[in-house]
Formats: sequence, structure tokens, C-alpha cells
Amino acid sequence: MMHHVYHGGMELGQFVREARRRAGLSQRELAARVGISQPQVARIERGSVDTSFRLVRRLVRASGFDVSIELVDLDDSAWSVAQTQQRMSIDARVRANRALLSVAGAAKDHA
Amino acid sequence: MPEPEFRPEEIFRILDEHGVRFVVVGGFAAILHGAPYVTFDVDVVPAVDPGNLSALSAALKEMHARIWTNDEPEGLSFDHSGGSLAMTKIWNLVTDHGRLDVTFEPSGTTGFDDLRRDAVSLRVMGQPVDVASLADVVRSKQAAGRRKDELMLPVLREMLGGGPPPDSPPG
Repeated sequence: MMHHVYHGGMELGQFVREARRRAGLSQRELAARVGISQPQVARIERGSVDTSFRLVRRLVRASGFDVSIELVDLDDSAWSVAQTQQRMSIDARVRANRALLSVAGAAKDHA
Repeated sequence: MPEPEFRPEEIFRILDEHGVRFVVVGGFAAILHGAPYVTFDVDVVPAVDPGNLSALSAALKEMHARIWTNDEPEGLSFDHSGGSLAMTKIWNLVTDHGRLDVTFEPSGTTGFDDLRRDAVSLRVMGQPVDVASLADVVRSKQAAGRRKDELMLPVLREMLGGGPPPDSPPG
């Protein structure tokens, strides 16, 4: 059984979907394993309903995985960069990657 | 001889001209979704029907794909056909337009059909391309469990969830 570490911003339903897909289960099959309905699983995965952590864990465990929670130091620096990146066009993101590779290549040549 | 400049749009163009059906995954897909990620290669997952694999083989020949290794960054030439490509799960290649990984079953997925289901169609430097959903990029990276992916997963998950929750006032 594998463990996933919970990271704050992610909707809990994403873990359910990820575990289910990795297990190769349909929503109906997963629902049957925990005794709830398929539409309920769909709503949980979409994040359209508030779901208890207990139920999320049951669904993830029924997929052969587990969820673990841990406290970590607050660090939103990467998220700040991501926000900047998301304001860029797709082509600008590709050009930024190219520019960074170019810098890395120059540094490697210089070393 | 240095490795060729990484121009993924040229790789996509050649694949498209040969009618190859594929989905982009991995770090480059994360970049297209807006992740603060840097990568020197593009990972593609092709459909595995014989016609598509033959088209893939022709496209790889046009871009002079060679097998990439640490010791041979310029690549080792290899002969291939659609059938022979299917016999290996992952090909690490270097082409005239940079590094290209062809993988048939990325970790945590069952391949093209699985990823195509939620893929998004994007235009990269004018070239249309199907890109795995961010949720599927996360699924694959989590399953791969590589150190470099572990470092990136927290922010990818934040992106999936729409950002971190607001800070609480000091209590």
C-alpha cells in the first residue's frame, strides 16, 4: 500500500480520482466497494460537495492506497512563481523554459 | 557537438504532419499548464495501434531520432519500425529539435486512451497539441515517485486545488 502526502490547496476529491484511476476502477466499482452511489463518488471527485476526510480516506483505501497528513512549514514561494507563470501565455511559458535552459547551458559551458 | 536546441513545437509539427496521435505528459505538460518547471525534453504517449506506430516511426526518421544516453548525448542511431517501437516501453531519444521521450504507459496510467480522455487541446507556438490534464500529470508524477517530481508535486497540487488556503490570523 502506498502513502500520499496531503498538500493544503488540493481538493480532497482529486485524491479520490487519482487513486481510483491508478487502480483502474470505474466510479461505479469504487462506489460499490464502499457502499455509496456512483453519482456521490462523481460529486466528491468534482469537489462539488463538502466531504469528510474520513470518507475520502475510505475511498482512497478502497482503491488500494492511503492518505497521510503531516504538518510542514508554510512555504508559498513556489506557488507565487506558479501564479506568475499562469498569467503568461502558453507560448511565453515555452519561451521561458527555453531561456532558462539556455542560461543553464551557458553556466555548464562556463564551469 | 552540443545537443540541438530544444524546440518542442518542431517535434509536434513533424508528429502532426505524419498524423501521429499522441498526448503530451510529464514536465513539459506541466509547463504548458503554467507550472514553474524547467525541462529539457518532451514526453509523448502515442496511441498503440499499428497504423499510428508506423506513422510514429516515419516521424522519428524525419526528425533523425537517435537513442539518447548520458554517455552519448548526440545519440546512437537505431533502425526501427512501428512494430519494433512497440517492443520497448520507453524510448529516450534525441532529435534534430531536442530531446524526446516516447513512452507507452507512463507510471500510474494505462497509456494513450487513459490520458486522452481528459486531455486538453492547446496551441504551442502555433502548433495544435493534445496535453494531458494537470490532474493526470500529477497522477503520473506521484506514481513515478522520482525525487525531482516529489519536489514539484506540492505546487502542482496547489494548482489543481486553485491555490493554497488563505492564511489564518495569528491566534
